[in-house]
Amino acid sequence: MPSPVIRVDGFTKRYGRRLAADGLALEVQRGEIHGLVGADGAGKSSLMKAIAGVLSFDAGTLEVFGIRIDSERAAEQVKQRIGFLPQGLGLNLYPDLSIDENVDFFGRLRGVPDAELAERKRLLLEMTRLDAFRLRPMRQLSGGMKQKLGLVCTLIHEPELVVLDEPTTGVDPVSRRDFWSILGKLLEEKGITALVSTAYLDEADRFHRVSLFHEGRVMGQGTPAELVARVPGTLALFRAEPQAEALPRLKAAFPQTEAMGAWLRVFADGLDPAQARQAIDGCLAGAAAPAIGLSDWFAREPELEDVFVAMLRQRGARLDTTLEAGTRARPPDAGLAIEARALTRVFGDFRAADAVSFQVPPGEIFGLLGANGAGKTTVIKMLTGILPPSSGEGRVAGAAMRSAGSAIKERIGYMSQAFSLYHDLSVVENIRLYAGIYGLDDRRARQRSDWVIGMAGLAGYENDAAGRLPMGLRQRLALGCALVHEPRVLFLDEPTSGVDPIGRRVFWDILFHLSRREGVAILVTTHYMGEAEHCDHLALMFAGRVVADASPEALKQELAGHVGRLLELQVDRPAPAQAALRAAGFAHVALHGRAVHVLSPDAEADLQRLPALLAQAGISVLAAGLRPLSMEDVFVQRITALEDAARRPS
Amino acid sequence: MSHGLLSAVGLRRLRVMTRKELLQLFRDAALMVFFLYSFTGDIYLAASGVSMQLKHAAMATLDGDRSFASRELAGRFQPPYFKPVGEAGSPAQAVRLLDDGDVMAVLDIPPRFNERLLRGEQVSVQMQVDTSNSVLGFLTSSYGAQIVGRYGLEVAALREGMGGAVGPRVEADVRVWYNPNQNDAWFMGISELLTVITLFSILLPAAAMVREKERGTIEQLMVTPLSPFQILFPKVIAMTLVILAGCAIALFGVLGPLFQLPMRGSLGTFFLVTALYVFTTAGLGLLAATVARNLAQVGMLTVVILMPMLLLSGAWTPIEAMPPWMRGLAWISPLHYFLDAAYGILLKGAGLALLWDSVLAMSALGILIFAVGMRRFSRQTG
Repeated sequence: MPSPVIRVDGFTKRYGRRLAADGLALEVQRGEIHGLVGADGAGKSSLMKAIAGVLSFDAGTLEVFGIRIDSERAAEQVKQRIGFLPQGLGLNLYPDLSIDENVDFFGRLRGVPDAELAERKRLLLEMTRLDAFRLRPMRQLSGGMKQKLGLVCTLIHEPELVVLDEPTTGVDPVSRRDFWSILGKLLEEKGITALVSTAYLDEADRFHRVSLFHEGRVMGQGTPAELVARVPGTLALFRAEPQAEALPRLKAAFPQTEAMGAWLRVFADGLDPAQARQAIDGCLAGAAAPAIGLSDWFAREPELEDVFVAMLRQRGARLDTTLEAGTRARPPDAGLAIEARALTRVFGDFRAADAVSFQVPPGEIFGLLGANGAGKTTVIKMLTGILPPSSGEGRVAGAAMRSAGSAIKERIGYMSQAFSLYHDLSVVENIRLYAGIYGLDDRRARQRSDWVIGMAGLAGYENDAAGRLPMGLRQRLALGCALVHEPRVLFLDEPTSGVDPIGRRVFWDILFHLSRREGVAILVTTHYMGEAEHCDHLALMFAGRVVADASPEALKQELAGHVGRLLELQVDRPAPAQAALRAAGFAHVALHGRAVHVLSPDAEADLQRLPALLAQAGISVLAAGLRPLSMEDVFVQRITALEDAARRPS
Repeated sequence: MSHGLLSAVGLRRLRVMTRKELLQLFRDAALMVFFLYSFTGDIYLAASGVSMQLKHAAMATLDGDRSFASRELAGRFQPPYFKPVGEAGSPAQAVRLLDDGDVMAVLDIPPRFNERLLRGEQVSVQMQVDTSNSVLGFLTSSYGAQIVGRYGLEVAALREGMGGAVGPRVEADVRVWYNPNQNDAWFMGISELLTVITLFSILLPAAAMVREKERGTIEQLMVTPLSPFQILFPKVIAMTLVILAGCAIALFGVLGPLFQLPMRGSLGTFFLVTALYVFTTAGLGLLAATVARNLAQVGMLTVVILMPMLLLSGAWTPIEAMPPWMRGLAWISPLHYFLDAAYGILLKGAGLALLWDSVLAMSALGILIFAVGMRRFSRQTG
């Protein structure tokens, strides 16, 4: 067996009194994409920095290319063979330099001879489709482009090992898919090894092998399939009416129950599909009248995220929230919660939002999706009254946008990506501040403050500074501050970045409760398509326009009708397989670790035909099957089609 | 709008926002240390260290005569103004002492000094002065010239036989007002206090604002029913309160007990005028915060704003001594009016009746600057 590229044992790192890595152990083999998956603060970044030779550590051994990294000098020895992309979009690049100048700088820094540098630069920029923008300063690039440029600069000296710290955080799904495909191709061609971290478990199937991180330790390591096999169980997807009655009953029996729009998603730990159905039926049958009706039953293998959460539960993590039934009656039908009619905003020649129209009734979770710069933020700014529209009309919470902007502000809650809390104020001080801003009197402020602390699970943290809370609690505190005045409409702008899976689940539980029990309308934007599945309704934006407006279910059916169904092929050599499938006329082929995903208009026939077709190219198919379409597939399909159309001269 | 500025809700908003600013400020340990030092240690140093009078200037003598007269003249260079360090053996050594900075001045008395005086001839003595610090050099040479001149007069009078009797001459009898001992500590202490007040009036609100921008909390405030005024004004209130407290510490903790600053006028008036000045200058800070993107830029902008304000205010040089175009600019420096008012109240005991024009001009400037800052802020975030 060849020696591993990276061998880590007992790796321990402390920052002051906080233990960031607590005896980590893992091995990375040559030529694999090894994923580090876990929440913020689980120890991923510390380990990656130590491997890149830019961080000292307290205990343990670390070997890279068989060289033990125990001194500055040892680190210098391996640095030339490593490429490191630190966390944060474009943080390693120079904003005022052009794409060309950035690449040249990193090339010369690494001592790449001029002729070679020019050739590599040409190839890499072509592959990343950045060559059209060579003279554009880096700060004017979109998030996805910055990240691709970061990758190019990391690869310019042809390292044997690349260490990429959360390269896809804050990047839209299309750019993200691009990024993975470029990375996969490069690794295949150059025989590079990659160590990549992500906070998102739905990206885990892009990796050959995965290490699951939790609180400074590795909880499990293996291929995604091996890890999924560790926690046997069944994932059940079904509808149950009335959903709001079914959810708490199911949750009591199966902690890993989630509402996804009109669907319920239950992970039945340790049960096979038949047992799971039986248990769920039994659980719902106990309900008092009206009886709960179950329909559209699907049972399948759990996803890595279900397994990860199950592992955390085994370690004592809790998923329950203490939400009392609504503190107020659902308002009588007050018409639409949000109504946008041809909202347009023009900046100079640029139409940031172009005749945007949609409607959100009370009690609905509405997702606004789109790449960076598609116009989501502009729409939210107009609806929340920060930005006056150039033309168009809107009504929010019963008030007209143009004439009653201040009334709107009193009736809505807003929470941004940054969780906009005052880090130097305590939990209670933050809540009281917003209570005062919204004009609540002292008695009411005290009541709502207690409600927020109960809802967010902040009991015991009341006097801690907000900046010292773990991400999940910080996020729920921010949500609580946005809800302190009991708004009827809630705006959430990328609310879950950096939060661990448990925190995210609890968060969505709360949102579901608010929408179903209290009739709050929720408008949410996200880059993570797993979250889009939680929404009742989605609007997809592209270049300032709404290009699709339907339920997640309808969008998926539409895609299946237009482009086809999703096939997953496990192959021995993924990158050549991708090329062969493209050559055979499949437009939509993506790499996922050792698997290739193909959209096929005639799935049944292709399932039979493709193994033979690939065998002709010397590629053997180890397994093949159908997979349900995800929202990510829908998003990427739609947006790439629109991008192609926009690029083509009309 | 349903909740006016002075309604119960409007007032509650101002209250909670002001409280928030104060809490944030008190929890910023580094800033608080800097703040407390500036209002105590820094003012103490300024008041005790810097002097416009000549004190203990080291002086060597190069006595070529070694007579009664030469010793008499050299002996008149006395502490506290001068500090005689002895004789230089040779002209070369005298130059070396000057070069090395061991002495400020060398008094060179030529040979036959006594003899020529007795004969009634005109005699010159030379004084070599190190004027690399022009103020000290100027003081040394003029004090020296005064001592030598007086000695010359006395010698002449003796020679004319007018030992004790006095002939016709004009005696200048100067009365110094307001600061009778010409105590530099008062002037320097107040001047430093005003500078520190100015510094923090710009820095604190600008830092508070930029911190909100950096953290993204400003975005959150914009979607609440708060008006731009309700967001900005509490910062000014909070910072004004804190700076007034600092000012009280400096007056009653440092300048009063340690330097016996008289504080002749009404302290109420002084604090009122200071509050008005802080408000004016805070507007400049907020304006700076609309330009700056982070705390480092705020620091640089503060220096950029502070320097010309100090130069134009007349704190360092009298406005009358400036070229005409700069004199024009001085009228728009709020510090100019504040200096006028602060010295007036503390040293002269002046009241609002005398200072109303300065106060009025300061208020007008303040409202104008705050309005411009608020406009820029609303445009930027809107």
